[in-house]
Amino acid sequence: MKPSAFEYFTPATVTEAIGLLERYGEEAKVLAGGQSLIPMMNFRVARPKVLVDINQVKDLDYIREEKDELVIGGLTRERAVEVSPLVQKKCPILSEAISYIGHLPIRTRGTMGGSLVHADPTAEIPVVVSALEGKMKVAGPSGERLLGADEFFVTYLTSALDPLEILVEVRIPTLPPNTGWSFMEFNRRYGDFGIVSVAALLFMGDKERCQKASLALGGVGPTPLRTRKAEKLLAGQVITDALIAKAGIQASQETEPESDYHASAEYRRNLARVFTQRSLTEAWNKVKGGK
Amino acid sequence: MPEIPRKWVGKSMKRKEDLRLLAGRGNFMDDIRLPNMKQAAILRSPYAHAWIKGIDISKALESPGVLGILTGAEVAKMSQPFPVGVSAPPKYYCCAVDKVRFVGEPVAVVVADNRYLAEDALDLIEVEYDPLPVVVDIEEAIKPGAPILHENIGSNIYNHRFFKYGDMEKACREADLVVKGKFKFPKYGSTPIETYGVIASYNPFSDEYVVYNNYQGPFVNHSLVAIALGIPENKMRWIVPADIGGGFGTKTGMYPYVALITLGAKKIGGTVKWIEDRREHLLASATGTDRVTYMEAAVKKDGTILGLKDKAIDNTGGYIRPPEPGCAYRSTGNHTGAYQIRNLDREVLVVGTNKCLTAPNRGYGCQELYFSLERLVDMVAAQLGMDPAEIRFKNFIQANQFPYTTATGGVYDAGDYPKAFQMALDMIDYKKIREEQKKARAEGRLMGIGLSSVVDPSVTNIAYVTIGKTVEERRQERPKSGSGESAVVKVDPLGGVHVMVCTNPQGQGHETVISQIVADEFGIDPKDVTVSNVVDTHDRLYSITTGSFSSRFASQGTTAVVRAARQVKEKMLKIAAHMLEANVEDMVLQEGKVFVKGSPEKSIRLRHVAGVAHWDQSALPEGMDAGLFGASLYSMPTSQPPDELDRVNSSNTYGFVAEAIVVEVEPETGQVKFLKWASVHDAGTIINPMIVEGQVMGSLVHALGGTLYEEFAYDENGQCLTASFQDYLVPTAMEVPKVEIGHLETPSPLTALGSKGTGEACSMSVPVAIGNAIADALAPLGVAIDELPLGPNKIWDLIQKSKKKK
Amino acid sequence: MKIEGTYTFSAPQARVWEVLNTPKHLQEALPGCEKLEEREPGKFDVYLKIGIAAVKGSYKGKMEIADAEPPHRTRLIGEGKGLPGFVKGEALIQLTPQDQNTLISYQGDVQVGGLLAGVGQRMIGGVAKMLLEHFFKNMEKILKLAG
Repeated sequence: MKPSAFEYFTPATVTEAIGLLERYGEEAKVLAGGQSLIPMMNFRVARPKVLVDINQVKDLDYIREEKDELVIGGLTRERAVEVSPLVQKKCPILSEAISYIGHLPIRTRGTMGGSLVHADPTAEIPVVVSALEGKMKVAGPSGERLLGADEFFVTYLTSALDPLEILVEVRIPTLPPNTGWSFMEFNRRYGDFGIVSVAALLFMGDKERCQKASLALGGVGPTPLRTRKAEKLLAGQVITDALIAKAGIQASQETEPESDYHASAEYRRNLARVFTQRSLTEAWNKVKGGK
Repeated sequence: MPEIPRKWVGKSMKRKEDLRLLAGRGNFMDDIRLPNMKQAAILRSPYAHAWIKGIDISKALESPGVLGILTGAEVAKMSQPFPVGVSAPPKYYCCAVDKVRFVGEPVAVVVADNRYLAEDALDLIEVEYDPLPVVVDIEEAIKPGAPILHENIGSNIYNHRFFKYGDMEKACREADLVVKGKFKFPKYGSTPIETYGVIASYNPFSDEYVVYNNYQGPFVNHSLVAIALGIPENKMRWIVPADIGGGFGTKTGMYPYVALITLGAKKIGGTVKWIEDRREHLLASATGTDRVTYMEAAVKKDGTILGLKDKAIDNTGGYIRPPEPGCAYRSTGNHTGAYQIRNLDREVLVVGTNKCLTAPNRGYGCQELYFSLERLVDMVAAQLGMDPAEIRFKNFIQANQFPYTTATGGVYDAGDYPKAFQMALDMIDYKKIREEQKKARAEGRLMGIGLSSVVDPSVTNIAYVTIGKTVEERRQERPKSGSGESAVVKVDPLGGVHVMVCTNPQGQGHETVISQIVADEFGIDPKDVTVSNVVDTHDRLYSITTGSFSSRFASQGTTAVVRAARQVKEKMLKIAAHMLEANVEDMVLQEGKVFVKGSPEKSIRLRHVAGVAHWDQSALPEGMDAGLFGASLYSMPTSQPPDELDRVNSSNTYGFVAEAIVVEVEPETGQVKFLKWASVHDAGTIINPMIVEGQVMGSLVHALGGTLYEEFAYDENGQCLTASFQDYLVPTAMEVPKVEIGHLETPSPLTALGSKGTGEACSMSVPVAIGNAIADALAPLGVAIDELPLGPNKIWDLIQKSKKKK
Repeated sequence: MKIEGTYTFSAPQARVWEVLNTPKHLQEALPGCEKLEEREPGKFDVYLKIGIAAVKGSYKGKMEIADAEPPHRTRLIGEGKGLPGFVKGEALIQLTPQDQNTLISYQGDVQVGGLLAGVGQRMIGGVAKMLLEHFFKNMEKILKLAG
């Protein structure tokens, strides 16, 4: 299929890009990696009259460490984040999650910002950013604002971004020492959209008991789901296999998945339980093994 | 045929095609550029079943770049419905006329300057639909009160026949046990990398057509399109380019697009190109039939299968089109598989539902058949407390019984089933694996072993399609039969050997294989043989059986090449004998030279023989034509029409495949892991082992897809849920387990080289072997396996259900 | 695809029934509804612009309120056609008083066809539910404003 006709602009700066969005409003769509938008345009389920291609915008492609955060530009390619030594050292769960995104060619074009704004309910980066409580910096005609993960993901394919805004930066807390982590995804084939995914973090601090746990699930609702009750079960506790099993059951009960052709709601709830359990076990093993 | 020394046949010679294909210098449909070529886009029905109340193309006609638009009403004036081999056919035009019967059915076609503009015009066409109730379930479609698709037929049954071979009643009386099963085989297909493509040109000044397309041959389609469009066949030049990106049978169905785009070309009096996109392919190209089978076996306590009874219902979708009802009849000759079963009652139904249409999908008819038969054999073994390997050995046709005529008229040419099957068992160390399984079961692990043994028919005898009509109906028509394939071998004035075929490869490496064969025939090097393999109904010898389908090249195609080559050889011997004043019976051709047997020092090189034939034509023996060429359009003598008892040798060469697969099912997720896999093949003489290996892996992964991943899924409203590769799951390299392939060669006496077909192989044996393995794994839970695909959600559901029962 | 669910309005049943059957309010409540014209009693022409993010479409169609049994239950039947495809749906809506509130329970069938159906099956169920929630939330606002 071929897309319907569109006008095409390549702004050189964020300001220019926002200006274009202001001018064309709802008729315009931002093009970053294009790995989600272009297929939708080719299928003619998306018909933006104006494409604002931000791939030429300077200074949106960076990865750096600022105090206890990783700061990543919106246009940074997924592959760059995946293989970055800084990311692998300071926030390995992000690198691991990205490795599940499609296939290598897709990751060389797809961007951090694009994946977050596209907000696919099964996308890996939103799940991990939810688990890590990352913050999204967006820029628009009235300036910049910072949005937390909870408020950023609104529903299917919908972020809290105003149509005239661009996501310029993601800020992600680095993992404190002695943090167990795991990212797992269940899918039919290598590279497919995930059916259910789990990002699990066990923050031990310098204690024997888990201080805090973070459990975000993908594929079980319109946005990534933080299973807070399951997290509460783990907080302040000594981690055991039995407790992990309980947390798995609890996390599963917090989900309200939909059925689709590939997986029924009941099956997703089962996978939520199974993979929460496996993920927590892997995270706990990392703590025990000194990571 | 006389034996010659074989230097090249049997060798894994690297393919000649590969370099140009890998370097992007192939010659595919989309590479063709013709002057003033316009592009077409097709408007497709979003409804599964609806009346077309009206189509308004006025706005679309004004859209930029549009040259013309055809709707069904006009198509019905410009063409006839396609003929099809059933007694009460539906009216299948190349475009929906008054009604749509599946989502994706063509409703109009726009011709414009380019595809973008054509699709823009599609947006402006307004169609008023009056939706009707939808039926997608096979058995629902034949219940009274089901929505009827074709008013002129009055029911959804396109074809219905009964067959009796032997005496099944007697078999049931003598049986100790009758085991019954109901099996469902899913609708899945081949999704070749290259989709359909058509470039049609109409010249109003000569009233002639040139149609490029990537169909698998002229096959019957060229004639049928000509009939539908009311054109003499010789006024429609049908050309298939040298390279096709996969076909697997999908490109042998009577799809409407060649006719539709040709009508588009006629409408604008010019050249129109249409390349199918992937969404169109998944919605409205061709899939295999889905089938419901009721099968029962009458058996003795010792495992002997005395007879079979089965009722099979095939679904060809919104219409039935050639070569259907072949889906039900292609396997007639090998219906009883590898076993000595002499009694068979068959009921065949071919029905329609509001799903997309069908074509032979690799394994045509046999995947569905063997899924039922081989599952049933395992079920019989389970009920008798017999090992599933043992019961197969008990019933196999033995090596000394060939050629073996089956109860249904199939003539198996060569084979050694027990030996090949034992090979598969040995490759997985069967006894040891059964011991391991006992241990695994004691630990609560779900480990299973699945076996299957199937007869792999190749080289279709087109007579089989006429079995869709009764004996009386057949008496009123001319019989149909044959398997002819063409080859022309010629030697040019400088002694170069060139072969012209239209075997129409879609990746099977024909050029390489032909080079190997001809090199052996003339004692030359394969790199000195050139091959052009292009279908061109003006410039090539062809018949309605020429093309690539039913795995016919390795046996039928190669035989035609050898026959043509030997005609050349015979002529060369005559010319050389004439030049040396010797007796032609004393002449031999070896290593590119002709000489009197025993006197190699007085030899004439092939190049010089050709030189005389071209440059000194008066020096040839009296009455002999100049030049040096041979031509064959060879049909196997075993391709006879059906007899009055409905027996027909539906294929000509019959191979054998044995699978032995070990799996473990993970109960928490329903995932299947492959622990061991042996696949043993008897395809007769192997011409190029490397190419055969590719074929085997290809059909294996294709079958893996249909068993665990692929399905053309529809909801209850007939909406296709799998219209992109996001949802239609073709296995990737990452999903392929480690497989060991074994070979046994029992040469066919019917073919020049002893080879049989091998392209479909695993697609027939693997689905049921995996099904048997999963059934064996889940046996301790009492789970029955009788349908595919077996995705993890499905398996997990079955396990949960069995837990609830307990 | 089957849809079913519930929603609780903090308003008495009679009020809810009234709002449900007032074309002006229906137009305000239906997500993306730009036009709602009653041709005959209970039969409307509808023009909707709905979508999620980049997947937007305009739909022209009809809606019908049928089998009304005031104030307990009614049937909503609708269909719309647009470039992304067509949508057809039918829902039986039941109202049950719960103290000062009204419990709505709905059961129905939604069919999506065309471009969207082939590639969107992953999300169509969830999106349909989400649009319905949106509809009910809009109705909630109207009920509050109308007093």
